[in-house]
Amino acid sequence: MEAAALTGPPAWLERIVLLTIPPAAREAVAGDLWETYRSPRQYAGEALRTVPFVISSQMRRNLNLPALMLQGALIFLCLGGPAAIALLPALMLRDAYQATARPSPRRAFRDSILLATGVTILLLQISVRFPPGVRSGLDSFAWLSLFLQALLLSPFLCLFRAGLIMQGDRKALVAASDLPLEELARHYRDFTHDVHRRNLLQAVMLALAAVCAFIFAWNVMLAGLFMLVAFFLLLDTAPLPVGCDFVSLRGRYQQALAHQQQLRCFLCWLWFAPALMFLHARLIESSLTAGRPVAAMLGSIAAVILCFLVMALNREHGGRVQEQIGALDRMRERMTPAAG
Amino acid sequence: MDAPLDSLGQFEQIVLTAILALDDNAYGVTIHAKVEDLSRPKKASRGAVYATLDRMEDKGLITSWLSEPTKERGGRSRRHYRIEKSGEKALRESARTAQRLFETIAQNLGGLAWKPPR
Repeated sequence: MEAAALTGPPAWLERIVLLTIPPAAREAVAGDLWETYRSPRQYAGEALRTVPFVISSQMRRNLNLPALMLQGALIFLCLGGPAAIALLPALMLRDAYQATARPSPRRAFRDSILLATGVTILLLQISVRFPPGVRSGLDSFAWLSLFLQALLLSPFLCLFRAGLIMQGDRKALVAASDLPLEELARHYRDFTHDVHRRNLLQAVMLALAAVCAFIFAWNVMLAGLFMLVAFFLLLDTAPLPVGCDFVSLRGRYQQALAHQQQLRCFLCWLWFAPALMFLHARLIESSLTAGRPVAAMLGSIAAVILCFLVMALNREHGGRVQEQIGALDRMRERMTPAAG
Repeated sequence: MDAPLDSLGQFEQIVLTAILALDDNAYGVTIHAKVEDLSRPKKASRGAVYATLDRMEDKGLITSWLSEPTKERGGRSRRHYRIEKSGEKALRESARTAQRLFETIAQNLGGLAWKPPR
């Protein structure tokens, strides 16, 4: 097999194929396609036959059903059924192409600046198109201050992303190229203890939030969901490995990491869901019924910014977990003097 | 990895058998070649092999890891696969079922030359 690939595919063709393969499978699948390369036509044909399977497999693997259902419900509440139907497949596809590393600072800042610019342009358009009276009853001075805040949004979002990046940099990865089995087992044990402690804390907080929601009659369904998730967190424990060799333990560790990442992503959306629902009910919907389209639009912008913050949190954490899974993938067992 | 014993689909059996036969040399290209060999005269798509490998890894039947990058792969690594204990168990169970099927068919139709070892 190795001798078959003396020459590789044309660079432009390879670049296109690489773009279509989800990052998690890119290294292995692109390498296999290269190894069996015979001609550009054969390479393109093989890629066309292979990549759809890889994409669907990655969609299934990265499918975070509880988070997706929660996102779907929020989209349905805020934007309606057709938007939810259109956006859910897009969200699943985005999950399939989940990055295997944390976003680069450059990309993170670019996203923040793009969002802030979009908001500023939207506000600019509103101020040009609507007379001051229609702008939710805001006078020109209040409107100007709002506009200035939109201008300040870009540095704020950039600072937020920078803070997340710096916080991620401080956390150490299990990145050693080789470890003895005992050391890997110790890392895994520490990880499961951390997970247990964090789950317990989150379960207590969710239960408290649910009780508060019941007492103040905020939203019974959301309170019930909080309680359900609290129970799940108490039951969700990663078993400690017994009698595993290095390869099996590594596989188990990777699966546990991926599971915890999905759980954390869901929890992040769950914690922000009440704020989004509040924005929708109190600002967007009530403004629309009161005939204040500009206030409704401002509420929508606030909801979009909130979603951006949740997504940034998830992207940063997810990227770090994927880096850790990748580091484990390349890790070799180091024989201790007694074992070797 | 200690997942409950799950019955394997036919394609999963073939892919697991390929990994078992290839031992240390089980990665995408070789697994696909072996699967094509085992499932003759049917053709097997490489994409289906990848999807099955992913599914079985999620079930804890196999484990994978990346090798060192090599020149003949454009500087990319191979993803190697290995059967886990639960995978071996599931494969043995499938083999026993296949053996019972074979014996029943041979009894009723006859003419099957090869008899699997017990």
